[in-house]
Amino acid sequence: MKKNLILKNFFIYFSALIVFFVMFFPLYGLILTSIQPENIIRSRNLSFFPKEVIFTHFAEVLKPNHISNIYEGIRNSLIVSFLTSFLCIILAFPAAYSLARLNLPAKNIILGTLISIYFLPTILFVIPLFVILVSYQLDDTIFSLVVPYTAFTLPFVIWILKSFIDKLPVEVEEAAKIDGCSTLQLLIHIIFPLLRPGLIAAFIFAFILSWVEFLTPLIFTNNLKISTVALGLFRSTIDIKIGQQAAAAIITLIPVTILMIFFQQYITKVVLSGSDK
Amino acid sequence: MTDLLNQPSNSQFKFSREKILAFTLILPSLILVFITYLYPAIFTFVISFAEYDIIRLKIKKFVQFKNFEFLISNYLFTSSVLRTIYFGFLICVCTTILSFLIALLLNEKFIGKAFLRVMIVLPWAVPSVVSGVLWGQMFHADTGFLNALLYQLGVISGYKIWLADPLVALHVIAIAEIWKAIPFMTLFFLSGLQSLPSEVFEAAAVDGANVFQRFSNILFPLMLPIAIPLFLIQFVLAMKSFDTIFVLTRGGPGGGTTTLNYFIYQEAFETFNLGRASAAAYVLLIITLAVVLIPTISRFLIKFFWGNK
Repeated sequence: MKKNLILKNFFIYFSALIVFFVMFFPLYGLILTSIQPENIIRSRNLSFFPKEVIFTHFAEVLKPNHISNIYEGIRNSLIVSFLTSFLCIILAFPAAYSLARLNLPAKNIILGTLISIYFLPTILFVIPLFVILVSYQLDDTIFSLVVPYTAFTLPFVIWILKSFIDKLPVEVEEAAKIDGCSTLQLLIHIIFPLLRPGLIAAFIFAFILSWVEFLTPLIFTNNLKISTVALGLFRSTIDIKIGQQAAAAIITLIPVTILMIFFQQYITKVVLSGSDK
Repeated sequence: MTDLLNQPSNSQFKFSREKILAFTLILPSLILVFITYLYPAIFTFVISFAEYDIIRLKIKKFVQFKNFEFLISNYLFTSSVLRTIYFGFLICVCTTILSFLIALLLNEKFIGKAFLRVMIVLPWAVPSVVSGVLWGQMFHADTGFLNALLYQLGVISGYKIWLADPLVALHVIAIAEIWKAIPFMTLFFLSGLQSLPSEVFEAAAVDGANVFQRFSNILFPLMLPIAIPLFLIQFVLAMKSFDTIFVLTRGGPGGGTTTLNYFIYQEAFETFNLGRASAAAYVLLIITLAVVLIPTISRFLIKFFWGNK
């Protein structure tokens, strides 16, 4: 029995190691490329442990006069992602409450339709949206990004908030109602504070999705002035300097990674609360 | 008497007031979703039967089924449809198997588990453009790690140009997609595994069932209800993939990595043939619906014919 246990442990640690390497190696490669001189990256006796660590690629990318200006990209992405997440929460919070607690007819059909939209091909909606935006000369604006992003993210955010509201105890609301609390007061003063973890999770979710969105800005914006980070990074792939490209990729990655690591708890909670329903 | 008459109507009034409130709360979301989804979906449907003038932004003329006929007779289109189905199937089979195995691993107790979980979730946070850049560098002909690794191990005698071969390029994109898709599905599988009653396994172990028996007779049937929806969702998402293809190969070489989604993009925003692009978008929609609906319908039929026995 004891021998069996050792064997089992050996097997577990061995496979954990393999999983770690396979999942992490690509990212490690990117980091390695970003901190080594161009001539070493391009040489054939490449080593997987850096002998010489430099940060000039990062410095180059972060220079204000670099070909694809990363500050503009980060600023635009921050504005767009914040606006999108904010709008999503404002719209989704009452909608989720209505779906979770109120006597809304055809509740399941509404929720099902909202979620299933997400699985339809995005390009189906993008073609006419492009035509509409161009005909009202709204392309190349922040608006042309925030509105589609919000619509794309909204169904998911509603679903997240709904599963969080489902887990709140009903008694609190009933007690408040007996005390003469109107639904609006209930939403603002009681549900909103109780729902804080759910709201944070939903906010992050919307933020990440907007930060990584690529197809929408690619089609709806041509002007470099409102280029997002993701788009800016793609434009830098035309450049042949591989080290700088990797550095730009890491800079794009950092905000989302920090959010992910800090709030992995919340996100896992969302996933868990969704699937065991 | 008046009291008795009033009571039901009063409660009905209250009832409908709650309904109105419920609708008011959800209405803004519904309006936004309808403007950005339903209206465009109808618009795309209409212009899939027309020639669209991209400069004047109006319909030139209706051509009935010409767009669809053109697509079906077009080799690039038919091959991209088949490629899309193969691509989607490959990705969701690999992702489902790998995610399930990783979830089984994460369900065990070991040192460094929390760290490993963060590492596994990480690719999900990687923007697909970054993942495109990253895998592009990995498979780069001159500077790629894969070439360096295989060359140093002596597997290949010279550096290979991976992305120049259409078939290899398609699989490189599939690898990139699988790597990005694993985290999300692993988390779902893990939560499914954790919700299973552990008594069942203990009982089976006491009864002398070995690992494989426990897997095939208990774990597999219990996990199937979670695995099937995940599998389908992944299929649909894989057919939608665009960013990685755009960054890595732009549909090339020789159209070898042009999936249907990418084909539509090219028709719409490179050659500006919106009518044909819309027709192709509806073909993609039909395939997507088929993928989602076939299992549902078959399950319904099975229930209908065999359920009562």
